[in-house]
Amino acid sequence: MASQNLSAGSEFWAGVREEVPLIFGVAPFGLVFGVLGIESGLSPWQTILMSSILFGGASQIVFAQLWAAGVPALIVGGSVCVINLRHVLYSASIAAYLRHLPLRWRILLGYLLTDEAYAISIRRLQHEPPGPNQHFHLLGSGMLLWVSWQFATIFGVLVGGTIPDSWSLSFAIPLTFIAVVAPILKTRADLAAVITAGTIAIIGQPLPWNSWLIIAAIGGILAGWLVSRLNHQAGATS
Amino acid sequence: MIWFIMIATGLFTFATRFIMLSNGISNRPPLWLVDALGFVPIAVLTAIIVPAILVDPADQTIALWDNPRLFAAALAIIAALVTRQMITTIGVGLVALWILQWAM
Repeated sequence: MASQNLSAGSEFWAGVREEVPLIFGVAPFGLVFGVLGIESGLSPWQTILMSSILFGGASQIVFAQLWAAGVPALIVGGSVCVINLRHVLYSASIAAYLRHLPLRWRILLGYLLTDEAYAISIRRLQHEPPGPNQHFHLLGSGMLLWVSWQFATIFGVLVGGTIPDSWSLSFAIPLTFIAVVAPILKTRADLAAVITAGTIAIIGQPLPWNSWLIIAAIGGILAGWLVSRLNHQAGATS
Repeated sequence: MIWFIMIATGLFTFATRFIMLSNGISNRPPLWLVDALGFVPIAVLTAIIVPAILVDPADQTIALWDNPRLFAAALAIIAALVTRQMITTIGVGLVALWILQWAM
């Protein structure tokens, strides 16, 4: 592929521009987290700083919910870690494009490597001609996402107390995740993961410390993985 | 305590993002691990979604009929499949829930 020598600025702003449509999904999500954090009994500072320290929406929601339910710290931590394991995939997939950079760049871009920034910038890295400033694209998409996530959280913390319970705003959390999961279900293995995780999550409700969440997650991962293995083998032998 | 857990999980989360960018690990993860990690979002999010819909927040019982959240979620799933837009999915689900709660 021919290289293209775009300036750092034009790569950066391309990343910002291409990230904009995703902000319409991320902003309400961050707002809901801000509201939920306060409702869960976290302090405003704990809620706001969690958005910088964890910087992962689903894991922050789970952290707040489990903490509010009085779950032992080890289960809270374990659940958050399982949820965030997926980032290893993004890291592996984008490493080839970033590995030559100085350490401070790799630390910064690693910190900014969220689902949404990865989704936008991997397209640039894979499908457009390489350039010496291509990492500025991820800096742009990642920074827009970071700034939006922080503002949305702060806004949620500020307005949280004024939203009446009858609005059922916490129902926006499963709705947000439905919007993520429903469109990506494609294979029988995906369905196996959904059915297993959903079933364990319901049957496991009486388990102590909300441990159904981590058990259902691991069960779903195993079920999906097993079915995909069986499919591979069937495909290989036929 | 909460700060300790927050910072510990924050460091772990950063590690999951940075690990393959550190030059310590030069090989890609083995294929079986990549396959398994691919199911993490689906499994985790489903485990959050299903109880949030079926378990009644008031008394912690499992509700199927007479459960407005179930019908609102079904409409949201259709909206998600058709539009693939987060904001539309949230909007359809919330408005459906409000109407059903008002009507039921």
